Amino acid sequence: MEITAQEYLKMSIFKRLDKSRDKDKKISLLLTDLASLENYIKDFFNFSPLPICFISPLGVVLEVNPAFEKTSGFSSEEIIGESINQIFDKEEILSITKETLENGFVAAKDLFLRRKDGNDLTVRIFTKMRIDEKLRPIGYFLGLFDLSDIKKTEDELKKVQAALLNILEDTEGARRMTEEEKNKTQAIVTNFTDGLLFFDKDHNLALINPKAEDFFKTDNSRGLKEIIEFLGSDIKDIFRKEFVMAKDFILEISAISMEKDGVDLGNLVVLHDVSREKIIEKLKTEFVSLAAHQLRTPLSAIKWSLRMILDGDLGKINKDQKEIMEKTYQSNERMIALVNDLLSVARIEEGKYAINPISIDVAEICRLAIDSIADGFKKKGIRLKFIKPSKSIMVFCDKEKIGLVLQNMLDNALKYTTKLGKVSLSIEETLVDVTFNIKDTGIGIAKNEQNRVFSKFFRTNEAVLSEPVGSGLGLYMAKNIIDSHNGKIGFKSQPGKGTTFYFTLKKDT
Amino acid sequence: MKKILIVEDDEIMINLLAKKLRDHGYIVSLAKDGQVGLSLLKEKENPDLILMDLVMPKIDGYSVMEEIQKDEELAKIPLIVISNSGQPVELDKIKELGAIDWLVKTEFNPQELLEKIIKQLGE
Repeated sequence: MEITAQEYLKMSIFKRLDKSRDKDKKISLLLTDLASLENYIKDFFNFSPLPICFISPLGVVLEVNPAFEKTSGFSSEEIIGESINQIFDKEEILSITKETLENGFVAAKDLFLRRKDGNDLTVRIFTKMRIDEKLRPIGYFLGLFDLSDIKKTEDELKKVQAALLNILEDTEGARRMTEEEKNKTQAIVTNFTDGLLFFDKDHNLALINPKAEDFFKTDNSRGLKEIIEFLGSDIKDIFRKEFVMAKDFILEISAISMEKDGVDLGNLVVLHDVSREKIIEKLKTEFVSLAAHQLRTPLSAIKWSLRMILDGDLGKINKDQKEIMEKTYQSNERMIALVNDLLSVARIEEGKYAINPISIDVAEICRLAIDSIADGFKKKGIRLKFIKPSKSIMVFCDKEKIGLVLQNMLDNALKYTTKLGKVSLSIEETLVDVTFNIKDTGIGIAKNEQNRVFSKFFRTNEAVLSEPVGSGLGLYMAKNIIDSHNGKIGFKSQPGKGTTFYFTLKKDT
Repeated sequence: MKKILIVEDDEIMINLLAKKLRDHGYIVSLAKDGQVGLSLLKEKENPDLILMDLVMPKIDGYSVMEEIQKDEELAKIPLIVISNSGQPVELDKIKELGAIDWLVKTEFNPQELLEKIIKQLGE
């Protein structure tokens, strides 16, 4: 079938109409898509929690999102159309604009954003250039992160870091100081001239210094084991206890329990070598003993000669001769007494004055001493009162030696108490020991002389004035005797008013 | 008459003692040291009593006593020590060596010694 021209034209008009209808349809669809896209972008722009703005190549703010409004404090109406210089440092934002237009973007630059309220925020910005279809820049996006919180945290972290560094420095300082102290202590311990042992709180030997090691290296000497045995398992505190390591090798041992703030740290044991002192002491006492012995020989010759002359064994003497001889004899007797004291002291110090303890009633010791001295009291007219204990108290002691101590103290009371004075002897007892008190109303002992009362040969000025004869050995001996009984000896005195001497002995239970 | 041997190195003492004892009627022989004393004893001096010092030259009193102890006859003779010493440890030793008494010279006088001897030997 053949198509006519008219029909063809008609068909082609219809075709065209159809085509035009399709095009409109497409345009309409595209427009719908475009509007949807625009909404999408707008929503996205509004939704973005990241503050974003769009800036023209000349630095004018063209668009801002709500996050930007919030961060800057400016509303879109206030900021759009304004120069970006208002919210950033001019120089810096110019350089960023320039860099963005040159490179297409700027990444991670930290700037200050000046908020509407005048506060500065630290922000990190990112930019991205936009171009048109002819590749001409039409502006750029600027997004920013608010760093103020991070900055704040960073500042705080820096502070914390600084504080930590300070602490670290302090700790280091303290550590150095501790180290120095430790070194000092170590040097002291190492170079200490005494031996040192340190036992920890469980009584295990934790430290031994070189000097102590030297002690234990001595040939034929007792060793560390014996010392530990001597200290006992509980390591009680002791003060200068003698310990014979070997012949002529004597240590004085002191043990001190160490604690800090009530915490047991252990025990320090000090080993002090007294061998040299002991040898010198021995030589000295031997010398004194020998000297006293040698002195006695001529004294006894004088004594015997005078006595025989006085007794008429060597012929008659007249009254005057007898008188002088008698006085000489008495002087010689005093000399003998002094030498005897000297010998006693030497013997006490030599350890030859052996103690022979027996169980004896306190009243018995007192009675013996009082009997021996009662005449003297009577002659001088001084009342001696003995306050006898109501019941028998037994002590374990050397009767003679303790008698000597008591006699000595009563003799002193007698010597240094003026006529019409009073002397009393009384006994006090506790569960474990007995105290003898010898109280007088005598001359007393001056304060500045009190610390020397028990020293060898010492006599107070007052004592010398009131009684020229005396060896100054009596109380020294008394102290030695009481010490060898493990007792206590002492006195209380008021110059011009009187003195009370006392000594204690352990009860024999 | 009783015989007494005095062994003593101190001249004054020995003479004073000798006089005191002779005046009383005893026969007294003297030895100025331990060695002389011991030889006198061994030569049958046979005293009734010996008075002896301890510290003497040549042979001291302890050694003399040890020698005496070795001789049964000599050991029977009473012996009194007269000494300037006077230490308890020495006293024990002297007793062991057979001395019947011990006098410290400074504590006694010749009269007291004489009385002790009279007590021991009789008048």
